[in-house]
Parts: sequence; structure tokens; C-alpha cells
Amino acid sequence: MNAVISVGKKVLTVVALTAFTLAVLIPLLWMVLTSFKSGPEIFASPWGLPGKIHWENFSHAWQTAGIAHFFLNSLIVTVATLAFLIPIGAMAAYVFARYPFPGSKLLFGTFLGGMMFPQFLTIVPLFFLMNTLKIGAYSLYDTKLGLTIVYIAYSLPFTVFVLTGFFQTLPKDLDEAAMIDGASHSKVFWRVMLPLAKPGLIVVGIFNGIGLWNEYSLALVLIPSEANRTLPLGIANLVMVEHYQSDWGALFAGLVIVMVPVLIVYWVFREKIHETMLAGALKG
Amino acid sequence: MKNRGRTAFIVTYLAPAVLLYGVFVILPVLQAVGYSLFKWSGLSSKKTYVGFDNFKQLFHDDVFWQALLHNAWIFLFGGSAILIVAIAVAHGMQGESRATKALRSVYLFPNIMSLVVVAILWEFVYDPHIGLLTSVMKLFGGGATHRSGAAGIDTSILGSPTQALPAVIVTFVWFAVGFYIMLFSAGIRQIPQEVAEASKLDGAEGLFRFRKITLPLLWSVGRIAVIYLVINTLNVFALVFLMTQGGPDRKTEVMLTYLYEQAFVNSDYGAATALAIANFVIVMAVSGIVLRLTRKDPTGVSH
Repeated sequence: MNAVISVGKKVLTVVALTAFTLAVLIPLLWMVLTSFKSGPEIFASPWGLPGKIHWENFSHAWQTAGIAHFFLNSLIVTVATLAFLIPIGAMAAYVFARYPFPGSKLLFGTFLGGMMFPQFLTIVPLFFLMNTLKIGAYSLYDTKLGLTIVYIAYSLPFTVFVLTGFFQTLPKDLDEAAMIDGASHSKVFWRVMLPLAKPGLIVVGIFNGIGLWNEYSLALVLIPSEANRTLPLGIANLVMVEHYQSDWGALFAGLVIVMVPVLIVYWVFREKIHETMLAGALKG
Repeated sequence: MKNRGRTAFIVTYLAPAVLLYGVFVILPVLQAVGYSLFKWSGLSSKKTYVGFDNFKQLFHDDVFWQALLHNAWIFLFGGSAILIVAIAVAHGMQGESRATKALRSVYLFPNIMSLVVVAILWEFVYDPHIGLLTSVMKLFGGGATHRSGAAGIDTSILGSPTQALPAVIVTFVWFAVGFYIMLFSAGIRQIPQEVAEASKLDGAEGLFRFRKITLPLLWSVGRIAVIYLVINTLNVFALVFLMTQGGPDRKTEVMLTYLYEQAFVNSDYGAATALAIANFVIVMAVSGIVLRLTRKDPTGVSH
């Protein structure tokens, strides 16, 4: 009797979990499937398979709809942000982890506080700040440079938080030994500590990279012109403003183009990403 | 010897981070407080000090209360759905086999994708002409003729005053639940093996074991999950902004979509900043209340 109940429960669990898994996956699979279909096929039935694979949806999205341009913008902004964020964040984190000074706890706390401020708290002042700050004759508003600077600043709290924890775990006698050998503080950081921190830097880079690639709200407010649009802005604009619905296939292809790079990176680094997410959640 | 150039090192290595963070994060936070005390339409000549008028106005603004109420619905219904599903899935899928780990990673897909993709995808799912959902409803004989009426009346799900908010909530749950599954799975992993074994030996079975052993030990993770839900549901923006723009007739308006409208459509920057501060205070207050209410574990299990 007990055995029957336990088998029944197992079956029920499997059925429920399968249903849940399908609920997560079906919209995603539908998106990918639809990106290969022709317009009439999309209207005929959402479940039907495409007669042949319409790769031209992807070329339409990439070229005609301008996704290529947005893709390049996103790539530039994301890479530039990471290129500055990681060293700047690591330098600050190293000081917080290894060089206590009067007020260092308070300063560190101020940085962590940034993880709690919702972006919208600062969005209006930030909008005007970017309009006011000028490089030459141009303001930072509506420039990739401006967006990059803002992205660096808003990614710092999390980056400093994770990397400080990482530097704290590295053995202390290493830098002491190097210092006795006559190396300067800077030399110890760049030659000894940073190479040791490489796994931490990679995780932080991936994690931030995904978030930056996907970022929408700040870009929405700070980038009005088409020339500087990032991928999320570009695809949103195609749907909302330009009503690109005449070419459904290309729209779905566009969504797939936005999604796929992120999911590939995520899948490769998923274990590390989970660890970082949990560390942030459970300690924070 | 060790202190050679220590101060200079600290200053130079902190400077870039402190400068960027100070100018682009801390300064705007302080400015926000200032802005909220002015009536201002963006032209500096028209900036007038009005004290707490923006907050008073907000307090008497029906749209704000409506928006707050929608945030509350998303928290209550979306949040409970997420907690129930996440705990159930985490409980039903214990273990660290390759398959369970892979599945947990798959559940996080929607969370890893851009919210823009999630919003547009679900707009299409609900689309009356090509949508997945309409075809499912047709399959069961309902919703056969969802079409824009002759007078141009939108009869789609996202165009319906009663169905739009639930539709957004479903999307929110789909998007967010994977993170909470991961959170609760980690919580279950933390339960000491001996406790689980002992409870099995004691004959604690199934639902009883879940209620008496698993659930109490998940208390601390559960608190974190609820705090995350408070923050994420009161700060919903992109999903609503892209799916419904707060419509139809403000029936899905939330605090942040209204803030965006006040600032970047109506150019009422003082009112928008007051709303931003109110939003922040509400998030902090609700989080504080949740933490206080859940401080004592009612099951009395200490850990």
C-alpha cells in the first residue's frame, strides 16, 4: 500500500515538474521556431513547423531592420564598460580588502549602499547631469561614451562587493613576501594579486557583461538617437514605435539575435554565475 | 618598509572608483532630494521652490495610488505564485545529479534574457492574431474571435482592462521564478544531511516531513526571497512599459511607469523625483516591516 502511494507520488512529481519545465520552455521554443517561418506560416498556426527554414528572416533583421548596427553599439558599450570597470573595481576592492584606513568601512558601506538604490531614484538628476557635463562642445547625453561612463559607475557596487570578498580569501603572506623582496604596492597588485584573482575577475566580468548587454532603462533615458541605440533599445523601438509587424519573421529573428549570445555565455559559465548570484543574495 | 607609499597607494587606487561613483551615483541621489522640493519643467529659469508641495500633490494624485495598488497586486499575486512554485519545484527536484542541475539552469533562462525580449515575446504570446495563447484558447473552444472590432476597439488580452494586469503578472512570474527556485534549492541543500536522515528514521513522511522539517529550515532563505520580491515587484518597469505602457486606461500603471511619464513625457521633473523618493521610501519601509514581522521564526526551530 505504502509502495503504491509512493509510486503515485513519484509519478505526480514527475508530471508536475514536466509541466513546469514545458511552461518555461514552450514560449522560448515558439520564439525560435517562429523566427524560421514565413509571414503566412506565422499567421496560419503558431504551432506549425516551417515548410522550409527561412534564414532570410535573420538577414532581414540583421540588415534591413538595422539590428547589425544596434548589435555593434551594444558590443562597443559592453566591452568598453568592462575594460574600465574591471580594473577600476579591482583596484578599489583590493584597497578595501587589504589596506584598512580610518573611514574605509564607511566608504565600503557607501559603495554597497549603491546596490540598494533603485536606478529610478537617480534617473531624473542623472538625465540633467549628462546634459550638463560636456566634453568639448558635446554633452555626454546621447553618446556611447556617456552611457559607458554611467554603466561603469552603476556596476561598481556589485563589482567591488564581489571582488573585495575575493581578495580577502587570497593568502596574506604572498603580498608580504613580495613586499619584502622590494616590490612596490602597485607591483604587488598588478603582478601578484591580480593574476591570482583571475577567476574572480572572469566571473564578475561575465556577470556584469550579461547585465549590460540586456540593460534597458538607463539606455532608454540617456540614448534618444537611433545612431547610438543599443540592442535592447533597438529591438524595443522596432516593435513599439516603428511597428515592424509587417515582417513578423524578422522581428522574431531579432529577438533570437538578442537572446542567443547571452544564453550561450550563460550556459558555459552557469555554475559560476549561480554561485555569484547566491553569494550576492545570501550574504547581502 | 611596509608603509612606504601606503597612503599614496590607497588614494590613487580608490580615486577612479570613488570619483565615478560619487559623481554619477551619490551626487544624483542627493540631487534627487533637492529636485523633489522644486516645481520645475526643465527650463532653469522656471525652477521655483515649493517645499513639500510635490509630495502633497502626489498624496492627492489618484493615478499614484492606482499605480501603487497595481504594484501591490503584482507583489501579492505574483509573489505568492512565485514562492509556491519555487518551493514546490525546489522540494520536488532535490539532489545534485547532472539532470537536476541542468534543469535548474534552464529555469533561469528567462531571468538571464533581456527583459525587453521577455516583454516583447509575451506581447506576441498574447497577440490575438499570431499568439500562442489564443491558439490554446481556440483549442478549448474559447476566444475564437479575438479581433480588433470595427470601431477599432482592442479586444486582445493586453488591451482588456480586466485581463491586462493578470497577463503582466503571469509574465512576471515566468520571468522571475527561476531565480527563486535556485534560492530555495540552495536553502534545501543547506539543510544538514543528519537532520534529513534523522527525520526519515523517525518515520517523518512526505508532506509532514516537508512541513515540520524542510519548511522551518527554509525560513531564513524565505525571508531573503520575500525581500527580493518586495524590491523587484515595487520596481517593475520595463515589463509593463513595453507590454502595455501602463494601459489600457492606466489599468496596468505602476509607480515607475508613471514616474517615467511624469518626467519624460510631462516634463514635470519635480513631481517625478518626488515619486522616485516615495518609491524608495515605500520599498525600504515594506522591506523593514517584512524583516520585523519575520524576525522570530514561529516554528521555533533555531538554526
